[in-house]
Amino acid sequence: MTRSTENRILATPLVLFLLVMLGFPTILDIIYSFSEVSFENLRSPTFNGGRNYISILNDPEFWSASWFSMKFGLATAFAECILGLVLAVYLAPIIRKNTWMIAVLIMPMMIAPAMMGLMYRLLLHEFVGALPHYMFYWLGDSPAFLSRENVFTTVFTIETLQWTPFAFLLFFMAYEAIPGEMREAAAVDGARGLRMFWHIEMPMMLPTIAVAFFVRFIDGFRVFDNIFVLTGAGAGGATTSLSIYIYLSFFRSGEIGNAIAASVILFCVSFLALFFAGRLLRRSGA
Amino acid sequence: MSQKVKNLIRWLVFILVALIINFPVLATLSASLKTAAEISRNPGIFVQSPTLENYASILEVSERLNIFSYLQNSLIASTIASVLPIVLCFPLAYAVARRGYGKSLIFPTVVNLRAMPLIIFAIPLYMMYQSVGLLDTPLGLGLILAVVNLPLALLILVNAINDVPFELDEAARIDGARIFVILLKIVFPICLPALATVFIFSFITAWNEFLFGLMLTTTDAVPMTVGASFFFSSGGGGVQWGVAAAVIIVASVTPVVLGILMYKHISRSMIAGAVKG
Repeated sequence: MTRSTENRILATPLVLFLLVMLGFPTILDIIYSFSEVSFENLRSPTFNGGRNYISILNDPEFWSASWFSMKFGLATAFAECILGLVLAVYLAPIIRKNTWMIAVLIMPMMIAPAMMGLMYRLLLHEFVGALPHYMFYWLGDSPAFLSRENVFTTVFTIETLQWTPFAFLLFFMAYEAIPGEMREAAAVDGARGLRMFWHIEMPMMLPTIAVAFFVRFIDGFRVFDNIFVLTGAGAGGATTSLSIYIYLSFFRSGEIGNAIAASVILFCVSFLALFFAGRLLRRSGA
Repeated sequence: MSQKVKNLIRWLVFILVALIINFPVLATLSASLKTAAEISRNPGIFVQSPTLENYASILEVSERLNIFSYLQNSLIASTIASVLPIVLCFPLAYAVARRGYGKSLIFPTVVNLRAMPLIIFAIPLYMMYQSVGLLDTPLGLGLILAVVNLPLALLILVNAINDVPFELDEAARIDGARIFVILLKIVFPICLPALATVFIFSFITAWNEFLFGLMLTTTDAVPMTVGASFFFSSGGGGVQWGVAAAVIIVASVTPVVLGILMYKHISRSMIAGAVKG
């Protein structure tokens, strides 16, 4: 057997699996996005040109869902990276000696986002929730966390509290990987504290920061679970992310063609974003 | 300020942060140990008269709610979703690590899946599953969750095989051993720790998944995460908060315990996944 035959055989199982599980659905996506479909004629869709795309692009809810996802992804990624960085650098001296602390700090990552959302349904409930209880007790008042005005802040905080540990973990590892000689050399030159961080440590962690930001942005952008269980499509649509929008148009309103056209648009946008992010990361040497 | 005082403040910050980010878990645990009467009388975090009655009552199977079935479905689907990525990625990882095969197309494709919003595949999968009878089956759910786990599995395995000394399999090769024998008898045993990491990590991810469970199952194959949300959409009479809290705890025990046991390995592979992704 030649090496290239061998290589092909080694790759075959995964390639076949991907073709069936993703290749076929992608083709279906493209065909159905140009068709009139409903639950009644799922097997025999009729071609309707680009009507689904036109109706999606004219749907204000599609745009508000896209805007929500973009805003949510950027805001949470930004907050998580800042908080994670501060925590990692500030706590590093004690965590170094007590690595079990990492387990405590990354515990929220082990909880399913859907379960986290359900926990907050209990925690924020105005009669049985612990948070309103304490806020009334200490501050004399408690906001309506899920009202239209407050709901973005609420879901933003929930996502940030659950995933700051991710950024923290990456940054702590990167911080610990900075060679000791590097710091010593800088210390000899008189760099200390913030200056040391800003001029020596931070630049060395930059690739990790970029990656963490990107991963968190992606996850925030496609957010579904925690928001869906917490507010559903509620709060006047103020928390409809793009994933929730696609889900709702598929199941609730039966606009399958529109849901699929939105999927295809999302696919193309993600693909382009990945392509450029990949080039950018490669250029920065990450 | 002396170093001691500085570290004391660090400890206080650590405790405060740990309490804040884990507060939902603590509050849910506390509610799960209260009677219904105590929950409305005392919504705070401290339990006055702990009881296990909420846990007892979720074990009662009803037509609408069946926690044993949810747990079983999650177990089956998560096992499929953790074994399959290993079986599929291990051979390719060898080709990638040893020969640079697939570095231009298949490797980046799989790794970039990590960043794809997977809902775009959910609707066509629904249609596909419907026509082949995989809709509402643990197998169907496990298959798509295996896709979710492919990127990290491939990354970890490529890194692991890179760490296997090249001379080992070259020597076997010269002795005339066939590639599959080399993979199974030499590389596989050395990679066991990495394989265990992939398994556990995939298992946690699959267990915690919600979107595909929601879309691709209806009654028979409902996984634990989706089943838990059923307890919040009460069938008349409002949500029983104590019971609902107990269900969340039951649903979260498995991934949390696995995660705590594995946290050192998980952090290491997360680095691999993130930095090389």
